[in-house]
Parts: sequence; C-alpha cells; structure tokens
Amino acid sequence: MIEVEHLTKRYGSHTAVDDISFTVEDGGIYGLLGPNGAGKSTTMNIITGYISATDGTVKIDGHDIADEPAAAKACIGYLPELPPLYQEMTVQEYLLFVAELKGTRKKADRAAAVEHAAARAGLQGMEQRLIRNLSKGYRQRVGIAAALLGTPKIIILDEPTVGLDPAQMIEIRSLIRDLGKTHTVILSSHILSEVQTVCDRVLIIAHGRLVAQGTPEELAAQLTAKGTITATAQGSREAVVAAAGKVPGLTDLRVTDEKGGEVSFTAVSTAGTDLRGALSLALAQAGCPVLSLSAETMSLEDVFLQLTETPESGKPESDAAPAENPPAEAAAEENEKEADSDESNL
Amino acid sequence: MKAIFKREVKSYFTGMIGWVVAAVSLFFLGLYYTNRNLLYASSDFASVLYTMTMILLFLLPAISMRSFAEERKNRTDQLLLTSPVSIPAIVGGKFLAEVAVFALPLAAAVLMPLILKAFGTVSLVAAYSAVLGYLLLGSACLAVGTWISALTENQILAYLATFGALLVAYIMDGIQTMFTTGNLLAFIAFMVVVLIASILVGVICKRLTAGVTVFCVGAVVLFILFRLRPAWLLTAFNAVLSALALFDPFQDIVGGMFSIPAIVYYLSVIGLFLFLTGQALERRRWN
Repeated sequence: MIEVEHLTKRYGSHTAVDDISFTVEDGGIYGLLGPNGAGKSTTMNIITGYISATDGTVKIDGHDIADEPAAAKACIGYLPELPPLYQEMTVQEYLLFVAELKGTRKKADRAAAVEHAAARAGLQGMEQRLIRNLSKGYRQRVGIAAALLGTPKIIILDEPTVGLDPAQMIEIRSLIRDLGKTHTVILSSHILSEVQTVCDRVLIIAHGRLVAQGTPEELAAQLTAKGTITATAQGSREAVVAAAGKVPGLTDLRVTDEKGGEVSFTAVSTAGTDLRGALSLALAQAGCPVLSLSAETMSLEDVFLQLTETPESGKPESDAAPAENPPAEAAAEENEKEADSDESNL
Repeated sequence: MKAIFKREVKSYFTGMIGWVVAAVSLFFLGLYYTNRNLLYASSDFASVLYTMTMILLFLLPAISMRSFAEERKNRTDQLLLTSPVSIPAIVGGKFLAEVAVFALPLAAAVLMPLILKAFGTVSLVAAYSAVLGYLLLGSACLAVGTWISALTENQILAYLATFGALLVAYIMDGIQTMFTTGNLLAFIAFMVVVLIASILVGVICKRLTAGVTVFCVGAVVLFILFRLRPAWLLTAFNAVLSALALFDPFQDIVGGMFSIPAIVYYLSVIGLFLFLTGQALERRRWN
C-alpha cells in the first residue's frame, strides 16, 4: 500500500508537484495519466526515493521513504522513463547485478530469481546478448525484469510503452496486465486509451495537481451521462430561459450570446437521455423558434483534454462554458475541491 | 556495496580504462625500476615510487572521472538510488573499486624489492612503507576525483578538474615558498577566501543581506586579527597551504620517515572527500 500525503516538489519558483494526496491499495493496476510535464515522473521519482519532496510524506507499506528509505525501497520495483541499463553488460550480468543490489544474498537464489524474472518479462534466449545491442522493446523488457527482482510488492513503471512500435506496445501492455495479477502496478502514461485498457483505477494529473480519480468506467459513465446541449432560439432572453428551464432534467443553463432577437445558450442534460426533442418542443410552445440545436456527449478524451489543458491557453469565454463542470463532478468526492480549484485556474 | 564493487571493477576491465591504467602504470614502474635500481644498482626502491607520483597526476583522474559522472549521464544512478542500498554503501563500493583498479598493477611493485633483495641488501621496511604510502596517496587522490565526478555529468570536465586540483596540490610546495614572508599577503588571501565564501552564501541563500553580513563579519574579524596578531594570519595561512599539499606526506615517507600523522592525514582526506561525495549525491536529490 502506498500513502501519499500533501506531496509537493518545488524547483526554485517552479512547482512541479503541487499538494498531491492519494492512496494506492494492494492489488490492481493504477494509471497515472497526464500530459508531458504534468508531474508524473516527478511524483514517481519521489515515491521511489530517487528525489526528495519539498513537502509532504510518502509511506510504502507503512515505511516512510524519507525516514526508512531502505525498507521502503525494498517494497518497490521501479522502471524509470529511461531504463537504467549498463550498456556494456549482458542481460544476465545486469540482472544478476540488480538481484544482488536488491539484497538477494545467495548466488543460487540470484540465478533462480533472474531466470524467473527474465522468463516473466519474455527475455528467453536473450540472456547472453549485450544490452547495447538490444532493441528498444527488449531494453524495456530488461528494465521490467530488473524491476521484478528482489520480490517487490509494488511495481512502478514510468511511461513503459513510450517509443515502442505498435506490436511491442501490445506485448508490453499484456505483460503489464499479467503483472497486475500478482503485484500492485502503478504506471504512468500520457496516452488515454492505454490507461483505459490496462488500468483498474486512473489518477489524472495536470499541472502538478491531482484533478480526478476513479475507475475508467466510473469516470466515463459519469461523464457520458452528462451531455452538453448548445442551442440558438429566437425570442427574448427571458422567454427562452423560462421555456428551457421547464424541461425536466436540463440544468446549468447559461446564455452565451444574445443579439438581434436571437439567444444562444448551453445547458447540461443530467437525465442521461437525449433532451433535444423535449427542449425543441418546449421552446416552440413558448413561441421561440429554434434556429439551431446540437448535443454533444463528453468522452473521457474530452475530459482529459479539458482537465489537462494549460491554463495559459484557456479557451475564450471559458467562464461561460458549462462544459467546464462535468470534470469537477466526475472527480471522486474527495477530489472535488481540487478539481474546482483547478477549474478556477482555467 | 559488494555488488557495486564487483560490477565497477568488471566494468573498468570490460572497457579500456582498466587496461590502459594497468599498462601505463606498469610501463613507467618498469622504466624507472630498470633505470634506477637495475642499471644504476641503487637499492632505493622508494625513489622509484616517488618519481611515479608525477604519473599519478595523469592516471588517477582517468580512473575516477567516470565513477559518478557516467552514472548520471546514463541515468543509471536512478537504479542505484532507488535500490535498498544506502548512499555510503554506493560511494564506498565505487571508491573501493577505483582503489582496486589503481592497486592491481602495484602487485608488480610488491615483487620488485624482493628481486633487488636477491642481489644485495635492501631495506624492505622502507620499500614496503613506500608502497603503502603510495597506495594511500593514490587513494586520497581518487577520493578527490570521485567527489569532483559526483559534481558533474561530464567525464572530460571531471578529468580536467581533477587533474587541475591534483596539479595545484602537487605544486603546493612551490606555491608555499612564495608566501613565507608578508603578513599583508596572507591578509589579502584570507580576504579573498572570505569574499568567495560570502558570495557562495549569498547565492545559496538567494539573499543579498546574508552574503553581505558574512563578508562584513569575516572582514572585521580578519582586520582585527591583522592589526593585533599579524603573525597568526601567516601561520594559519601556511597551515592551510600545507594541508592542501597532498603529495608532501608521501615525500616524507619516501625520505624514510614513516609516520602515523601521514597515514592519518591520508585517511582523513579520503574520509572527508568520500563524505563530500555522499553529500553531493544527497544534495542532487533535493535540487
């Protein structure tokens, strides 16, 4: 189990990780999702003890990484973004070295552990190859095999599929799913579909903050149930708003534009059904002809993009766009505050 | 620690450096030995090692330059620092491997006095205390180089900086003779040290006032000392310079004065710089 509390990392005036708290329970595959530079690697480097936090604590199985580094590190197998491989060694030499480094004392035990890890990572027949001569996919496998040594409970993989070709990517993903059956796995990625297919739980990080977390289904379900309707109707603002307000299930009505007797507005349908018909009927009955009407449902992709877009490049009129809301609601309850504060930054 | 030591030694000899170091050491050792001891029939083996110190200036930075700079460059330090191994164990393992690479060719130096012994009277005590002193001197230089290597990820830079530092230590004897007189000179030298220290403090704390305060306090203390006890400054200055003369104690050992202070001096230098290496690694985690 990993308990991360109020983790903050500052480099001078730049805040790479800003007050992140989360708990990783034993078992399952956790995905850390976020664009490049969101603070995923920094978070992982702090959890594994490679760098230290400016503030906050990390506990691995009850061992504080700052106070009991050896005990905490022994629980973790880590594959950094760039696998830390010694080019001049063979695969077997390297894995034997890592096994000894992780405290496997007996020579026979080391050999057995290396054989097992190599087989698990799909490195059969590669043991005598020089690491220098391996392809990117195989280097990644050597890194994963190294992470498996020393029987850690938790495996942390930083962007394990970056730079691989599609076939290798699929292989590594199925390997990770396989590892998830025996270990707690945390992986980071900036590819949404990868996290969606591989992970049991997703933590979305943007600008060093945790903006949402939940199972992919939870996040997706909460979001697709909320469709945004954009419409333009003729008539006075009051009449249009009153008519639209009567439609059951339609909330968060916001007028975005008003000129020449035409009112444009957006609203969110919470009922989980298509409310375009009901809205059109209600407006027509109120004597306000509908000029345009469209509905869009938010995919996890949209949410991800919205949650993670840079504050500087914020959309115009973002204060009037109700689409900002679903992510906040989608976030698990304990994160609602963070999501809200993030929204205010947009 | 053992795992790191084994890997490092192997790595030196998988690459070129271990072999080049062995070849150069053996070549010069053989050359001076043949020249001094065999051709001129001298029984003084220590002087052979004394001549070798010049070679150390070029040789030792080549051993120490890669230790931490290469790990950092290839990001393999990430493996070491996220493994359940303490920083002292990492530093210790690497340092011992460097010493091993340096000491391996010295096996020949152990045999050389014995060969001489077969042909006449040779003071084995003097010869072997010189070998021990030589080993300690080399280890101290390697500790300095390891520390410099931990400060950069550029191996060439680590080599040049270590070479420069060792060269200064090597010619410190000559530098020292320039400062035998002149209290004012010592005063100025200490002022420069205070100035550099205060600039460092200012930069590290990112506060101008901190730097200025340090400089003012240091300058006032120095000035008072200079007015009241000018001789103290010169003595202190010379003491600092002799502490920096890394090669001097070895000279004493070669001269036949095998002394405990010399051994303590080298062990202290090794301890200090290995400690600083650990601090440099620790500090990198914070920045």
